[in-house]
Amino acid sequence: MNEAYNNIITRRSCRCFTGKKISREILDLIITAGLSAPSPINKQPWEIFVIEDKEILSEIANLEGFFTKMTDRASAAIIVCGNTDKSISISSQYYWVQAASAVSENILLAVNSFGLGAVWTSVYPIPSRIEVISELLNLPSNIIPLNIIPIGIKDNEEIFEKEIDKTCIHFGKWTK
Amino acid sequence: MNDTLNTIFNRKSIRKYSEKKVDKEIIDLLIKAGLSAPSNVNKMPWEFIVIDDKEILERISNVTLYAKMTKEAPLAIVVCGNKDRALPGEGSDFWVQDCSAASQNILLAAHSLGLGAVWTGVYPTADRIRNVSKAIGNVPENIIPLSLIPIGYPAEDEKNNEKTLPLDRIHYNGY
Repeated sequence: MNEAYNNIITRRSCRCFTGKKISREILDLIITAGLSAPSPINKQPWEIFVIEDKEILSEIANLEGFFTKMTDRASAAIIVCGNTDKSISISSQYYWVQAASAVSENILLAVNSFGLGAVWTSVYPIPSRIEVISELLNLPSNIIPLNIIPIGIKDNEEIFEKEIDKTCIHFGKWTK
Repeated sequence: MNDTLNTIFNRKSIRKYSEKKVDKEIIDLLIKAGLSAPSNVNKMPWEFIVIDDKEILERISNVTLYAKMTKEAPLAIVVCGNKDRALPGEGSDFWVQDCSAASQNILLAAHSLGLGAVWTGVYPTADRIRNVSKAIGNVPENIIPLSLIPIGYPAEDEKNNEKTLPLDRIHYNGY
């Protein structure tokens, strides 16, 4: 199978990092991968925040009500946000969540392609988490944080087989 | 540049397909890519409906203007959320993000295998959800179609329409 395909099926969440730095060059490629995601009518309704400052990373790691402990040993954290001013909405329901999620998946895949580790930790739609991150980043009300993705050099090389439940595949009509 | 980055950078929406069928083994690979997406608390709150029946493809193509190309595609995958597998409470809508990651994996896997695909939006538009479910058949209420992805071998000219990436949208250490 091709390398890009293998990268998709071998990606796993990584929560242990060495604390060492990743070059700006690689980070830029990872972010550019994120920005290559599709979005409805190509609105690109997202904003990407890149945190490399050790103090802010440690602040994120210690946030209550989050699952971001590993961030204090990450090289960087990317916070993917939606921009509601750039999002199409139908009946006041926004499409940015899906576009920003595709951005996030691209980021995880690009990280994995460099042999680096990352994990998607969620913010949206939990109101208390949105509030905390909005304050941390000084966000205007139209910018909504979707997740925090700590990225780093892996500290464990443990590869485990993911158990895949195939009962959710349906050929043709719904038959359950 | 590695193969993954090339795939991510060069993937584009393909809306015209040749008549060539997509083999079952390839369909399995596409689904496996979808299943390899991360999900909140590993709930895997998704269902994949694979459509290769011409009649159903045609019915679905009439659901919205944006789904017209489905009629010409040999295959479509409808990525759905399963509310029964979703988290309770404040996290009950995490399935939207999980299924979006799964949809993106399918698009990338398709591109890596020489196929073309396009993500057409279903959720959260109520009438699209209803009409796609109806066109497929007896989809229960807890199963919510998120995306409809027509897939086939590309018939479009492979002209390189490079996207201009808005790099001013990246912020280091603050807004």
